[in-house]
Amino acid sequence: MRSILSYVKHMASVEWIKTFFFAKTAPLITPSHFREFPHVTDKECTHCFQCMMICPAPGAIEVIRTEKPGEWKPVIHLGHCIRCGLCVEICPELVLDSGRVHTKNAQDGTYMQFQFHITVNPVICMGCGICSVACPVNKEIDPQLAAKGTSTSDEVIMRVYKGINTVFHEEKCTGCKTCEEQCPNRSVMVARVLEPLQITEEP
Amino acid sequence: MKKTVDVAIPLGPVHPIFKEPCRIKCETFGEQILAAEVELGYMKKGIERIMVGRPWQEVMFLAERICGICSVIHNFVFIETMEKISGVSVPDRAAYLRVLANELDRMQSHLIANFSYCYTIEHETLGMYLLNIRETVMDMLEYLTGARVTCAYIVPGGVRFDPDEEDLSRIMKAMDKVEEEMLRYIRMFEHGPLIGLRSKGIGIMTAEQAELVHAVGPTLRASGIPSDCRSEHPTYQMLGFTPIVRTECDNFARIMIRFDEILQSIDIIRTIIKTLPEGKIRGGGTIGRGQTTHRGEAPRGELTYRIKSDTHGRIQEIAIQTPSIMNIEACARYMIPGGTSVADVTSAYISSDPCIACTER
Amino acid sequence: MTLLQSFKNAVRQRSIHVCYVDTGSCNGCDIEVLACLSPRYDLEQYGIYVHNNPREADVLLVIGGVTPQWEDKLKMVWDKMPEPKVAVAIGNCPISGCVYNRPDSLTRPPAKSYIPIAAEVPGCPPRPTEIIQAILSVAPLIFKDWEIRR
Repeated sequence: MRSILSYVKHMASVEWIKTFFFAKTAPLITPSHFREFPHVTDKECTHCFQCMMICPAPGAIEVIRTEKPGEWKPVIHLGHCIRCGLCVEICPELVLDSGRVHTKNAQDGTYMQFQFHITVNPVICMGCGICSVACPVNKEIDPQLAAKGTSTSDEVIMRVYKGINTVFHEEKCTGCKTCEEQCPNRSVMVARVLEPLQITEEP
Repeated sequence: MKKTVDVAIPLGPVHPIFKEPCRIKCETFGEQILAAEVELGYMKKGIERIMVGRPWQEVMFLAERICGICSVIHNFVFIETMEKISGVSVPDRAAYLRVLANELDRMQSHLIANFSYCYTIEHETLGMYLLNIRETVMDMLEYLTGARVTCAYIVPGGVRFDPDEEDLSRIMKAMDKVEEEMLRYIRMFEHGPLIGLRSKGIGIMTAEQAELVHAVGPTLRASGIPSDCRSEHPTYQMLGFTPIVRTECDNFARIMIRFDEILQSIDIIRTIIKTLPEGKIRGGGTIGRGQTTHRGEAPRGELTYRIKSDTHGRIQEIAIQTPSIMNIEACARYMIPGGTSVADVTSAYISSDPCIACTER
Repeated sequence: MTLLQSFKNAVRQRSIHVCYVDTGSCNGCDIEVLACLSPRYDLEQYGIYVHNNPREADVLLVIGGVTPQWEDKLKMVWDKMPEPKVAVAIGNCPISGCVYNRPDSLTRPPAKSYIPIAAEVPGCPPRPTEIIQAILSVAPLIFKDWEIRR
């Protein structure tokens, strides 16, 4: 219990009067280990679109061309991004950076891996072929992919074969879900399966 | 000649005490409260409907944002449910780190609840002390996970980041400082005469009434019933956990239980950091198809997730039961009526720690 | 403007009342606004007082994506505030809906289609330092030359 005299002695100094009237708490800065909005570094972006596939907030990240020919860069919209850090972890070229995510991943050997599975419901699928024509990877493999989704090559991801859409090469899928959005009755569905892993040291 | 008249007083959605909008309609007879009714519906966003058909990496962020105050436990229980469906196991170091993040979150939630109560009984000094020590706890959460609120730290198979030696020693030092300050504030609260006048003997809910209305969490443990979901969790059993119980059944007991749980969390965190095993932090594994029910202990009570998933781990059906649903009903039925003054309505309501965002997702 | 009016505006700039309205959020931004009041990120040292009465407020903080119940009530709260007034949107929810911006959710963002909003603070939730920066940058603009602008 401090008595009144000790309080008066403490307050009667110039230091105390100056701090009482003029000091504010120090300007507070955001610490460097805080997971900020990801900023784009100078590394080369190979437009694999995995950051767009993993983002949980709709409309937060977009990978678009810049003015330089042949260059792509991700763009983050601040009003939509929830600062989760998943796009920073999954980029294979480390184009985005935020907080201590990259240092921790390099230290622990942790990474995330994507796998895409396409399922076709054979009962509902009516073989219209919209999904095969809409798929951008199909278009790259076989530029002459005709309407109704038929194709002469067997290297495409999926094509209409014997009346229903059949999947031939699931591993080439990039998970963009264009086929699922264009399907008229939701018979083709794409699953984006994510697995968080850590490198095991060889004994 | 004076007459006492029956009046229905609404405590409206926009109110200095409420952080979230809800309406309490109290029927009074003079200064005595006869009955109370809680009207909800201002925060319904339809989260469970958005979750259908999405994989775990999108549902995890939606589950965290059901309630921002207790976001780590929603993350924890959701991922544990998905792991139970697919049989994914977690390495030891990751299990301990999950409990570390959970206990830090529990401490900051209890500090906010007690600050709300002190603000309600007009003791702003003690409230501001508690809010100041809460900033130390949030700093520790930031060192561990990278964000203060909605951390997104727990993933299927383990956790996202591994703290190094420097972070762990920082957390130990901060726990010493928090414990010293908390002992001082608990003494201030326990022996303050005006605090005792406004908290002891007010908002009483007996053990039979609590069992009838299915109250959970500290609201239940203040009425003498030792029920805590952490006693059934394997990691907590390894750390030697027993629930804290009081028998006074009033506002004072509920606030003191939260203070005691903060001290218990500090002990658990110290045990974890001293006995943290070496090893990996992620065990890998994909989510499959199945259906199950799992529960965990949020700062406010028992939280239950019922999930049914399809072949590649997308959600087909989901139902979440949050603790505030039961506690708000217990508060409106037993704690508020029978009070001797209208000024006790807000203090009884806030002492049961409602979280309206959890109640209506 | 007379000397008295400019003196009155200069004094009012240093004492601002804030009211906040939670139109259906997850409470994360709510606790970060409460953390602004704590002694570490002290908001009251700038003369800003947070209470919840629209009738005596100058700044309205809008938090949360607008749920169906709040669509008419948000306009009512805004109309109750006396001039001069300013509204600030905190968090991602009133800007775009954050993670709730899906076709079958019940929220109807953005909040600026209901009331005029002067500043937006993005983040889910934004840090207390970012909230303080936003309020301090908006505060001098409310009372400056108010009699001329009216």
